[in-house]
Amino acid sequence: MPEQGIDPRGPRFAAGITSVLLLIAAFFAFIGNATARAALTFGWTADQPASGDGLGPSDWWLPRATVAERAADTGFVLVAVAAALFLWGVASPRTAPWGVVFRRFVRPRLSPPAELEDPRPPRFAQGVGLFVTAIGLALHLLGVPLALPIAATAAFVAAFLNAAFGFCLGCQIYLGLQRLGLVGRTA
Amino acid sequence: MSPSVAALTLVAIVLAAALLGVALRRAQGRARRIERSAIAPSDLGIDAGAFGERATLVQFSTEVCARCPQTRRLLADVASTHPGVRHVDVDLTRRLDLARRFRVMQTPTVLVLDGTGEAHARIGGAPRRATVVAELERIGGAHA
Repeated sequence: MPEQGIDPRGPRFAAGITSVLLLIAAFFAFIGNATARAALTFGWTADQPASGDGLGPSDWWLPRATVAERAADTGFVLVAVAAALFLWGVASPRTAPWGVVFRRFVRPRLSPPAELEDPRPPRFAQGVGLFVTAIGLALHLLGVPLALPIAATAAFVAAFLNAAFGFCLGCQIYLGLQRLGLVGRTA
Repeated sequence: MSPSVAALTLVAIVLAAALLGVALRRAQGRARRIERSAIAPSDLGIDAGAFGERATLVQFSTEVCARCPQTRRLLADVASTHPGVRHVDVDLTRRLDLARRFRVMQTPTVLVLDGTGEAHARIGGAPRRATVVAELERIGGAHA
């Protein structure tokens, strides 16, 4: 365990900003082409079956679109921005933007931290955020409807829980991931 | 989806997340009675003699556990102020075998053992001092 560490308020500040970004991204993902229906877009006016909306694959617009069309979506762009920021947070935590903003503009206005924390847990959380948003982006580009808003929402909830409740994602899911063989291989 | 439906959906999600956060926070750090099982130091990969003669506080941690350092400090302090009580920290980061064996799902997880190495209680999440001391008193490990 490193003696030195980081101000624990930094990652929470970052999580707060990230939450807002992801909430906005989720909003645009919900209203964008990830949820678009083919019938509406192509102007079909055929009667709906009396049994109600069948959400079969033929009803979604996304699977019929080209990759470029799928990517041409505000929600997609915003989730991609979020993913890029997560990647930055994993690859180079010290230079990641929200941390820099915190250290330069916020921390000078605060009293010194009561204690410093290990930077590894927040970095793990960034990795989880990257993974979730990357999956959403990839599935969206492959034409899977709803993947993007669901991923954005999941990432938002994780960031929100951390920002608002100090929830530690690594504390809860690391061992589960270990059981699945995704982390924690013996060196 | 229309913007107003999306906005309402997100409001519902934020509220649900807030409720989830409150529920998770309340569930953390509670002690549960568990079925007695004997644990030896060697089971945890530590030296014989690491256990306390009255009680042992076994903490399971990982490297990506933001709450583990504060729990470590708390338990070490409790151990130092209660004779015969020891604190042991087991790093599960690369020990899937131990995580499985002791069915550890979250960190920190603390097992409260009595003087013979029998586990009496399990605390999931960072405990408060009062919880830990209460468990020690239950097994008679809190008396000076």
